[in-house]
Amino acid sequence: MAKTIMIVDDSASIRQVVGIALKGAGYDVIEACDGRDALNKLTGQKINLIITDVNMPNMDGITFVTEAKKLPAYKFTPMMMLTTEAADDKKQAGKAAGAKAWLTKPFQAPTLLDAVSKLVLP
Amino acid sequence: MSELDAALTVFAQEAEELLTDMEDALLSLETKPDDSETINSLFRAMHTIKGSSGLFGFNAIVGFTHEAESVLDKVRNGERGIDAELISVLLDSKDHTAKLIEHCLTQKEAALPASLAADGERLIRQLTGRQTTDMQQSDDSVQLEIEGGGEISVDDNWLISLEFQKDAFRNGMDPLSFIRYLRTLGEIKQILTVASEMPVDDDMDPESCYLHFKIAFQSDANKQTIEAVFDFASDDCDIKILPPNSKLEEYLNLLNAQDDNHVKRLGDMLVQVGALTQNDVNHALQSQQANVDAEQEAPSKPLGEILVEQHVVQQPLVDQALKKQEQTKQKLASEANYIRVDASKLGHLINLVGELVISSAAMNLIVERHGLSDAGDVAASMNALVSSIRDTALELRMVQIGETFSRFKRVVRDVSKELNKDIELYISGGETELDKTVVEKINDPLTHLIRNALDHGIESPAQRVAAGKPAQGTVQLNAYHESGHIVIQIADDGAGLNSEKILDKALANGLIKPDHDLSQQEIHNLIFAAGLSTKDQATNLSGRGVGMDVVKKNIEALRGSVEIDSIEGEGTTISIRLPLTLAIIDGFMVGTGQDRYIIPLSMVDECIEMNANECEIDEIQHYINLRGQVLPYLRLGDYFHNQIADSNRKRESVVVVKFGQTKAGFVVDELHGEHQTVIKPLGKVFERLNGITGATVLGDGNVALILDVQGLIQAAIKNKSRPAPFLTSQRIQ
Amino acid sequence: MAIQLKQQKKGVTQLAIQGELTIYSVLEHKQALSQYLSSAKDIQIDLADVTEIDSAGLQLLMFLKQEAVSRDISFSLSQHSEAVVEVLELLNLSKHFGDPIVISADWKSS
Repeated sequence: MAKTIMIVDDSASIRQVVGIALKGAGYDVIEACDGRDALNKLTGQKINLIITDVNMPNMDGITFVTEAKKLPAYKFTPMMMLTTEAADDKKQAGKAAGAKAWLTKPFQAPTLLDAVSKLVLP
Repeated sequence: MSELDAALTVFAQEAEELLTDMEDALLSLETKPDDSETINSLFRAMHTIKGSSGLFGFNAIVGFTHEAESVLDKVRNGERGIDAELISVLLDSKDHTAKLIEHCLTQKEAALPASLAADGERLIRQLTGRQTTDMQQSDDSVQLEIEGGGEISVDDNWLISLEFQKDAFRNGMDPLSFIRYLRTLGEIKQILTVASEMPVDDDMDPESCYLHFKIAFQSDANKQTIEAVFDFASDDCDIKILPPNSKLEEYLNLLNAQDDNHVKRLGDMLVQVGALTQNDVNHALQSQQANVDAEQEAPSKPLGEILVEQHVVQQPLVDQALKKQEQTKQKLASEANYIRVDASKLGHLINLVGELVISSAAMNLIVERHGLSDAGDVAASMNALVSSIRDTALELRMVQIGETFSRFKRVVRDVSKELNKDIELYISGGETELDKTVVEKINDPLTHLIRNALDHGIESPAQRVAAGKPAQGTVQLNAYHESGHIVIQIADDGAGLNSEKILDKALANGLIKPDHDLSQQEIHNLIFAAGLSTKDQATNLSGRGVGMDVVKKNIEALRGSVEIDSIEGEGTTISIRLPLTLAIIDGFMVGTGQDRYIIPLSMVDECIEMNANECEIDEIQHYINLRGQVLPYLRLGDYFHNQIADSNRKRESVVVVKFGQTKAGFVVDELHGEHQTVIKPLGKVFERLNGITGATVLGDGNVALILDVQGLIQAAIKNKSRPAPFLTSQRIQ
Repeated sequence: MAIQLKQQKKGVTQLAIQGELTIYSVLEHKQALSQYLSSAKDIQIDLADVTEIDSAGLQLLMFLKQEAVSRDISFSLSQHSEAVVEVLELLNLSKHFGDPIVISADWKSS
């Protein structure tokens, strides 16, 4: 049974690249364009990993992680933050909210797959 | 001297230094028994002596030091603990080694005297005797034992220990994921899953994580990469990664190959070769800091020990890194800092420099006399060079007094044991430098003064407690520079001097008359007079009434002085003031009539014109009122009887000199200014001359006398009729 | 129903765990299984229909074994599903549970 990963990012191109990379590795992918969109798409289906950007319109990544952790079906789901090198405080805030994993932008597909597979193998 | 003899001299010197270091190390171990650095230096001392003795065929030394070395090796490897008893035996072993060396050097062929051999055997028994019982101690190799059974072999495998914390699952961390990922880097040879801390029954929360894993992992990946696998879990898991033993050799080689041009910290070295990650080091440093914070009393453990305890690195690696670190230190020290030079060569050099100074002065004179203006510039620049050569040459002979000071640790330790007193020696100012020839001569007086402080000064613990002082007495050795002199202070917090007793004794001995009017200070200084000891019962250490006068004489022979400050019940401070060097000084030349005198420049405070507005002179009372300060003065011309008071005196000048706290004015006819002065000792005939300590040859071949400023100040003070009626001063034209 | 009581006679309780045995379900599973720990003398758990198991699920099995041992209940796992076997082998725990594992031919090799 393929593992399902949700990618939340307001940049369509990033969603696309991440989507292609993950699907290529054998994961199922759900895309969302911001925190609110992502929350709406969390409808109880099994999701093995959520990857989210921090700065997004409507609802930022940290709020989204905090909200998602309140949902019974997703409270134990691993969350990965996409952060920039400079934003260490964001990384700490993300960790505090419950996103223990992180990936530093910019990244390339192999790095992403490597980080993802530490949490969920396809 | 044959080559072999020269080598023997070096051997003797080296051995002496090593043994001195060893003693220091042993004594410092008494307070810091776990200092691996110190233990290492002990081992090295014995090891080096053994090695070089072997070269000379001194088998007696080799045999003995071998035993000591083996014991120290065990201590170094943690197989044997070090305690007061062992330290004591090792101190004796050190002394014994010194005796063996002396024997071998002086009577090469002769067999070892029976007593010395017996001592050696006894010490070896003491050294090795307890070994068998102590050796069973922790053979803490790198086997990881796990409650509930099983061991993991570590020869070719990384040992990874994962202790997940309760919230791991809740944070979305599934240990299985990491372990699965780990398999992409290599092969899991063995894995132990334990949940030994899992609570029973209702207390077990299935959403909390109680799992710990020990993994033997075979991989070519480096430590950094393996650690990165668990990056995301780092908040929820204690991760320890121990490199495989097979990697050890690689790490050891890398360690050895590290450049040794500067000393690096242990952690950095191990990170650089890949045996540790920066995370490991930070973690260990944190726990070291935590220990320090938690229990300030206990000395914090060395980093290496913590790293080994945390199972992130093997002992041999730490040892090797420490060794490498030490080698680097030694290499740097020996390369950069020291060249061994024969002291007599140095002495010769300084003599030559002295002659150079004199002939350069002669040349200046000639240049001046013939009015060679262009030669004058050359002469001036050569003068500057000569004086910096002089300073540099003298500096060569400057040594720190610290080494002399630290020898007294042993004296204090032994004497206080003998006297059943608890005394701690504190040393400060050890980096203060002075001429090696002075250092050599100050050793005996210092020893005497310290023994005195231990014996007479510090009271017995019971007396101290009764007096409301801590049972442990302290003796403080301090040194500092003060205007061209070095001041060495020996301070104790003992009973202080009892003026009554001193006076009684002094009266009984006829040193003073009953109608004396001595100040407290002068009374205290009486203890430097011959035949005075206030301790009712003399011990074998000091106090037969000889000694203090000898001490004073010795110090004065070095153109120094000694002062005593004491408060009864609180302690005594003895200050020794010595010139920094015995060879060349910066002098200030003055003249009266035809004669020239040199005053050490460092003692000159100021020069003023006689009858200047700022000073009033009282010819009858023999003092000058210098800006409200009473200043005794002395006419050098009168004092040395070379000149009848001449009423048509030209201008006179007053040179204000100071020595310690005292000041006086020397009245002279002429001020010649600064003069580099090479001190030539006076012959025996002139030894008793008052007011003169030496002579120097001037550029024109004349002789100038070097003044004994301290003595002359005393003379000036005596000259001044007492008591000085300050307010009745009259101004004379 | 994640836990099915298949049979209960002469103190032998046969249970089957179905669906996923993960952090999301362990709380529920533990509550359901605990009642048998207080009554049964012999517990046999059929794992054939366990579709997914994670560390939390595995930990629960270890807990059950631990409780059973301390209460002198005989405890066995049977019919391990592919997912369970993968985890037990990964963590080298087959011996810990001591139950015979039958490997089905149509599993993908792992």
